[in-house]
Amino acid sequence: MSLGRPSQAVFLQPPTATSAPFANRPSPVTSVTVHPIALFSILDHYLRRDEKQDRVIGTLLGSRQDGEVEVKSAFAVLHAETAERVAVDMDYHRTMLELHQRINPREVIVGWYSTGGNLNNNSALIQGFYQHETAPHPAIHLSLDTDATDGQLGVKTYLSAPVGVTPKLENCVFTPVPCTLRYTNVEKGGLDLLSNAASSSTHLAHPEREMEELEKAVTDVVGMLDRVLSYVQAVLKGERKGDPAVGRYLLDTLSAEGPALGRKGAEALIGSQLQDTIMVSYLASLVRSQVEVSSRLALVT
Amino acid sequence: MASSMAAALAASQAAAAPVPAAPVQPAQEVIPASWAKLVDSEAEITLRVVQLDGLAVMKIMKHSRDAYPSAVNGILLGLDLDGVMEVSNCFPLPAGREGEEESVRPSSKYQASMLRALKEVHGDDNVVGFYQSTAMGAFLSQSFLDLQASHQKSLRHGGIALVHDVSRTARGNTSLKAFRLTQAFLGAHKARKFNVQGLIERGLTFNNILEELPLQIHNTPLLDAFLLTLAQPTVPHTPASLYPTSSLSDLPPTNQPLTPTYPILNTASTPALTHNLSLVLDTLDDYNQESSNYAYHQRQIAREKTRAEAYTAKRKEENAQRVREGLPPLPEEDVSRLFKIPPEPSRLESMLLLGQLDGYSKTLEDVTGASMVKIYAAKAGATAA
Repeated sequence: MSLGRPSQAVFLQPPTATSAPFANRPSPVTSVTVHPIALFSILDHYLRRDEKQDRVIGTLLGSRQDGEVEVKSAFAVLHAETAERVAVDMDYHRTMLELHQRINPREVIVGWYSTGGNLNNNSALIQGFYQHETAPHPAIHLSLDTDATDGQLGVKTYLSAPVGVTPKLENCVFTPVPCTLRYTNVEKGGLDLLSNAASSSTHLAHPEREMEELEKAVTDVVGMLDRVLSYVQAVLKGERKGDPAVGRYLLDTLSAEGPALGRKGAEALIGSQLQDTIMVSYLASLVRSQVEVSSRLALVT
Repeated sequence: MASSMAAALAASQAAAAPVPAAPVQPAQEVIPASWAKLVDSEAEITLRVVQLDGLAVMKIMKHSRDAYPSAVNGILLGLDLDGVMEVSNCFPLPAGREGEEESVRPSSKYQASMLRALKEVHGDDNVVGFYQSTAMGAFLSQSFLDLQASHQKSLRHGGIALVHDVSRTARGNTSLKAFRLTQAFLGAHKARKFNVQGLIERGLTFNNILEELPLQIHNTPLLDAFLLTLAQPTVPHTPASLYPTSSLSDLPPTNQPLTPTYPILNTASTPALTHNLSLVLDTLDDYNQESSNYAYHQRQIAREKTRAEAYTAKRKEENAQRVREGLPPLPEEDVSRLFKIPPEPSRLESMLLLGQLDGYSKTLEDVTGASMVKIYAAKAGATAA
């Protein structure tokens, strides 16, 4: 899914030159995907900033594949900036990079982040530094709008291009790149848990029991089916104008159910799976009681 | 490391107590009276609940998933306040090879440099425990207990251990549990007494090695705001002409945060069950081997004992004979020096194996229980259709 408001910018890629001088240039970045953990780290860093600091910066780690940059994690870097100059703690950056790569050797520097929605001269200088770190690949810049300038905590990603007659570090133009959020199914479980906490009135959530989780999922799906059903019936009765897109989605979803088994086939399938499950369940409780007995017996000898 | 905010508060309060207000340095904040009862420099307020921050949850999940199926661990950072252990951050530790003594040192060096680095960016640098990833619910192991027992000495409240079951989280049922060691186990561990006698004295089985602490999830307000932003449906700004229809937007908007995928509704639990069952079998084999080892040790001890007894009996008989013949009796030699009676073997290993078996079969029970519900539901759905 996309993050923040879509931009109107048109991102033009220079044609991938296959001619000799460009042959071994890395493929240009066409999209950026961000894992939630990177964004969460950035938010945490922003919360812990110095009182007089307006923005914080840090390094993004991840991987690249065919023009797609995947940001997998992030760490904070110390920096100080005034209107005239900017200083980034290089030693700190190196140390943290080394520490991170000992855990995850496959994650490399892909760019940097800053909070706050504004890009300025200093941004260009820092970008220059990270370009140097990621060479020959381009560095990406992710900005998380903690000031919520357009009403939400938007995330934007940029690439930079040199501008001007004589290339200078502080002269560059940031061009936006599409950015999406990506999560694995393990991360999804965590995200669900966290958003439960976010939307509850106490701001707390508890890891739920499986049955509660199941109940919630079933009620949700039943609710969705009801909504779709009422919509379809409204269309059939002519109360609403049918939407071809909705129809197409419904058709795709319902026909994705797989081959029709028929009632007999379905029952046979369910029956055999049920038997397997019951067998395993008996076995499990047998093992548990044996284990319990055995551990008690160890105490009476 | 052991100094926490609560301790710092206590120190500042002690300075303020004898002479009120005036001599207190302006830099030190005076603790309001309502907070005074929360000052807990000696860790006397017992822990009631563990509170986990969103960032820590996600970091643990990422680390466990990246390394799956091998188990990983890392350090938890945070503070305790009024009985709530607030875990706000964590970092992974490099994987050491199992059973290798040397692997302890690099990881403690790693820990020290990571803590220093986090302190520089105002991160929490107070270690409160560790986390451990597991698959299929069996996490009890020697290294787990040793690590926790070493924390018990050095950390406030003895530190906590957080267990994350990756295989269950992937099926849509986030499984995070917080534990600490019980007094019974600590006593046995301190005395290094895991023989039968020691276990009986303390009534120790795998069930009471650990006690579970309730766990709750909490986000920082900024993270809450961000998550709610994610949940908002983003309406495309593209001109309507690009999309001939107004798409799904004229249906009432859902309140679903992110896009729901419902992995929990998947009824096919068979692959997980097969894997789990084979793990149960492996552990049973290990247990069998362990108990035959134990039986061998027992026999060894019994044999040595009978030999020693036979020797003393023989010596006594001989002496009686010599006394009757008027000769001076031979000295009673120290039997224990002649015969080395091996010490009684530790039952810890077999206890842990039993604990692992219990963990595996508990997971099996949970999974099959849930999938039976799902299958019956599917059956009801199929016959109704």
